Amino acid sequence: MTAPNTPTEPTVTATPEAARQTSIYSRILWISVGAILVLALAALLAWRLRPPELHGVLIQSPQEAADFTLMTSTGEPMSLSDFRGKFVLLYFGYTFCPDVCPTTLNDLKGMMEALGPKRAEDVQVIMVSVDPERDTVEQLSTYLPYFHPSFLGMTGKVEDIQPVASRLGIFFERHEGTSAAGYLVDHTAVVILVDDEGYVRMIFPYGTSGEDMAADLTYLMR
Amino acid sequence: MGLSTHAQKPTRFGGGLPLSKYWLLLLALPVLGALAFAIFQPIQVLPRISLAPGFSFTDQHGARLTSDDLRGKLVYYTFMHTGCDANCAQTVQGLKVIQQAVDEAGSSVPVEFVAISFDPQRDTAERLRHFATEQGLDGEHWHLVTGDPVQLKNVIGAGFGAYYEQTDDGAFRFDPMYVLVDGWGIQRAFYRTPMPDPVRIVRDINFITKELENSEGLNRLAYEAAHLFLCYPD
Repeated sequence: MTAPNTPTEPTVTATPEAARQTSIYSRILWISVGAILVLALAALLAWRLRPPELHGVLIQSPQEAADFTLMTSTGEPMSLSDFRGKFVLLYFGYTFCPDVCPTTLNDLKGMMEALGPKRAEDVQVIMVSVDPERDTVEQLSTYLPYFHPSFLGMTGKVEDIQPVASRLGIFFERHEGTSAAGYLVDHTAVVILVDDEGYVRMIFPYGTSGEDMAADLTYLMR
Repeated sequence: MGLSTHAQKPTRFGGGLPLSKYWLLLLALPVLGALAFAIFQPIQVLPRISLAPGFSFTDQHGARLTSDDLRGKLVYYTFMHTGCDANCAQTVQGLKVIQQAVDEAGSSVPVEFVAISFDPQRDTAERLRHFATEQGLDGEHWHLVTGDPVQLKNVIGAGFGAYYEQTDDGAFRFDPMYVLVDGWGIQRAFYRTPMPDPVRIVRDINFITKELENSEGLNRLAYEAAHLFLCYPD
């Protein structure tokens, strides 16, 4: 009744062996694909969680930057809060400034170039004048586009600018100098970054290159 | 049957955990590492609270002192006037306690002490100098300053968040307060107390000096991570 030695028996024993080998190869393939995916994901996570290599000094202020309204170089008054949604780089300087201000504005121009046109759309550079007597709207609107067409100037009365500057850690004071342009204004030369939600997030010391500022901004904008 | 049993067994790595769990573990490592850092806080830092206000005042020698002059140094600020007896003496004693604690800590970073008078009418440079001598405050690291009343209000009230008010009889009401500002001009600690705790002062100075000593390379990354994960002391 039973036929233990049928002619098909060798084929029957070979099929599970082949199936097992196929299964092993398939498993190795899937494990390899899985490993690559997991490693890529782990690397991505580690990259996202890495501490930043920043060039400026990061501030984690629990309070939003105090709002202020001044006259802009476009001839209309604007407030800091009008720029919500953009990363604002505030610089306190003046157009008759012989060296520090043009150097910083050049660095900010370099930053805009390093960011590229797409990211630069979300960034606004504002120079608040510490010399409002000479920095009229016309003067600012002539001077700033020389560095970058998107740069804005802000001016107003000294008594309006003073508290704004002080709150942001900036001091300025006029003194009589030997400059051909007349008096000079001593002032703090840092660049202050206000983020898209209105918080002071970073200060860049004088001399931070445009590339370095762009690198920090790129980190904060991601 | 044997083949089926083999297929159901999870692949193991070195006879230990199933292979799939190794991948999960690998995936979880960065998250676990970040969590462990945040929970165990191997490095603690003082928070970078906000920018200290900028100013230009006149000191007890009649010289100009600006916030920029103090960059690169640790500065303890307090707010007072010389016309009050007990309160002001206590405030100065508070700063002397801080100075003593700083001397004991042996900070590698210069520490300056700035007492801002909110009574510029009476606290002239001469009176501030006399007060400093009377209280035994050495002139090198102590700056007793005052200035324009509007600027004082902006700096003390709006910038440092310290309360003071002149009453109708010309006297002043104020809350004693001390502020620690780092070399970047960032407020790092507030002490809203008449007499600060010297142990806490030494601890805070050490936090900042250690952070400064480790501000390069990989160490800086670790300290920035401590800021990122809010590894702040109580």
